[in-house]
Amino acid sequence: MNAVALQLDPTAVVDAVNWVWVLVVTFLIFFMHAGFAMLEAGQVRSKNVANQLTKNMLTWSVGVIVFFLLGATVSSVAAGLTGGPDYTLFAVFDASNASVAADGGWVDWLFGAVFAMTAATIVSGAVAGRMKLRAYVTYTVALAGVIYPVVVGLTWGEGFLEVLGFTDFAGGMIVHGMGGIAGLTAAYIVGPRIDRYTDDGGVNVIPGHSVTFAVLGTLVLAFGWYGFNVGTAAAPLAAGGGELDSFGYVGRVALTTTLGMAAGALGASAVAMYKTGKVDTLYVANGMLAGLVGITSNTDLITWPAALLIGGLAGAQLPVVFEFVEKRLKIDDVCAVFPVHGSAGVLGALLVAVPFLTVPDAGVDPVAQVVGVAVIAGWTVLATGAVFGALKAAGQIRVSREHELEGLDVSEHGVDTYPEFGRPDTVADGGFVEDGGVYRPDGGLPNDGGIKLVMAFIRPDRLSAVKQGLAEAGAPSITVTNVSGRGSQPAKKGQWRGEEYTVDLHQKVKVECVVADIPADDVATAIADAARTGEKGDGKVFVLPVEGAHQIRTGKTGRDAV
Amino acid sequence: MSANDSEIKMVMAYIRPDKLSAVKKGLAEAGAPSLTVTNVSGRGSQPAKKGQWRGEEYSVDLHQKVKVECVVADIPAEDVAEAICEAAKTDEKGDGKVFVLPVDEAYQIRTGKVGPEAV
Repeated sequence: MNAVALQLDPTAVVDAVNWVWVLVVTFLIFFMHAGFAMLEAGQVRSKNVANQLTKNMLTWSVGVIVFFLLGATVSSVAAGLTGGPDYTLFAVFDASNASVAADGGWVDWLFGAVFAMTAATIVSGAVAGRMKLRAYVTYTVALAGVIYPVVVGLTWGEGFLEVLGFTDFAGGMIVHGMGGIAGLTAAYIVGPRIDRYTDDGGVNVIPGHSVTFAVLGTLVLAFGWYGFNVGTAAAPLAAGGGELDSFGYVGRVALTTTLGMAAGALGASAVAMYKTGKVDTLYVANGMLAGLVGITSNTDLITWPAALLIGGLAGAQLPVVFEFVEKRLKIDDVCAVFPVHGSAGVLGALLVAVPFLTVPDAGVDPVAQVVGVAVIAGWTVLATGAVFGALKAAGQIRVSREHELEGLDVSEHGVDTYPEFGRPDTVADGGFVEDGGVYRPDGGLPNDGGIKLVMAFIRPDRLSAVKQGLAEAGAPSITVTNVSGRGSQPAKKGQWRGEEYTVDLHQKVKVECVVADIPADDVATAIADAARTGEKGDGKVFVLPVEGAHQIRTGKTGRDAV
Repeated sequence: MSANDSEIKMVMAYIRPDKLSAVKKGLAEAGAPSLTVTNVSGRGSQPAKKGQWRGEEYSVDLHQKVKVECVVADIPAEDVAEAICEAAKTDEKGDGKVFVLPVDEAYQIRTGKVGPEAV
């Protein structure tokens, strides 16, 4: 047996082990796209799910090709121009040379590409539910081809930030901080979703359609993150053969990644509990990821108590920063990508410079960290702002108001994600509750002393206005049903895997309102006024006679029961 | 003398979802077991609930209710309405309401019968 083993070239064994390791973690990081897809799908409304999923798939598909053809070269140029190693134009095409490929050059390229695509896909969560697909794809081309490669060139590519001493182990700032800041900038320029803010500056909460998917996505991401962090401790074997290389600190990376994730979930839970008295499921999920982002840049250098502290702080800042972005900046960051990736990434990249948090010989320069964070953030805001600003100036950034209300699934893709079970979107409108005092317009007996049922079929997105209108008319009690209907509105084309079908039953909401003291005509007029858009499909209102009424709780009958 | 003055009536009730089974039983005992049930949301005297999304509260003033529709000819509509009231009552706000509406005509699809017989 020994004789056989000695015939093996030790270098080949070392290369084989190292390549297998890099490929395995590359595949883990690729799987994070499944996590992002589920996380974002869960946080958007049911009418925008297919759009979000399509963006996620196109981010990878468009981005990875652009990163291959352009991004890797731009990265080398950015490094070379700022004091890094000499660069050659068309470096990527050199890498396609057969001899380079045999040395694993393409494996290294793929390892870099999965990081790049992680940064790219973060942005889609911030601009969900209102952006044109072609505008989003255009930005993905810019990000994968130029914006992210420049950041990598300045840092990991050995450009001037690396020379200055800036450290970011696995991309807490370079990948996640950059993605989160790009997302915030993008969401600011795109503007909030319709109904996100009221005319008087109030905030409307727009719940996503599935906490289940959001949590599934979170845990898939956490799984992939082990590849992201632990995987970056690449090259298990040193070139000499037989000795451990960077696996010397892989145990620290595995431990601090785990503790940071857990502490992030607890930090966000604690602050959410302090703010609302409840442990919010989505904040636990978001906090877990914020904890991971927080320790990603420093996971190889920090002590285990520091992992708990940094992860916990990254989670705890999340509810605070989210509220600030939403209520003060009035930026509609749908999937909270800035608090999860942006501010948490900045926090981690800065805290690694605090000496007592790191191992004794870490030697991180605080100035280099601050400069690094500032340069990456500044470049990302400027470059993203330029691309989005140009798209906006060209009028190409947002879908039309009609398409946004209808949902991007149908309007942009012709797809209904939940054709059998879908329900119209809900915008929480703050509600309108009247205590007691019902407004009665006259002293006599309206409706000729009878009871009337006012029955209306309206557009789902007008429900909030109709509720408001009815409350103002003094008839706040209603019953609402999701129905489908056909009237004068033209039929739509539905699509399932490319095959078209006709949808002539449109989603409508039926409102029933029984009145005695308020004239039925006033109620019908109030509904019609609130529901009108002037387009075909506004619906109809009918008034029906009611012969008897019983209130179940009190046993009252007749007009008193109404 | 026939019930409802030989007319057809629709008894339409909005009740708590958890009282549906009791109402079904009550209707069967009153001799009017045929019914249609729809899941609806409604606003009345029941206080609004708090919903929450990423830690932010919003008010839910449309509560989950069940709508029961029951068309009768031979059974007095008032009896049916009272049977529903009795079965659906909990004395808390949000028990719902029952209405009686006139029905002009009725057709049984399978047999082609028209009028009270079709009910």
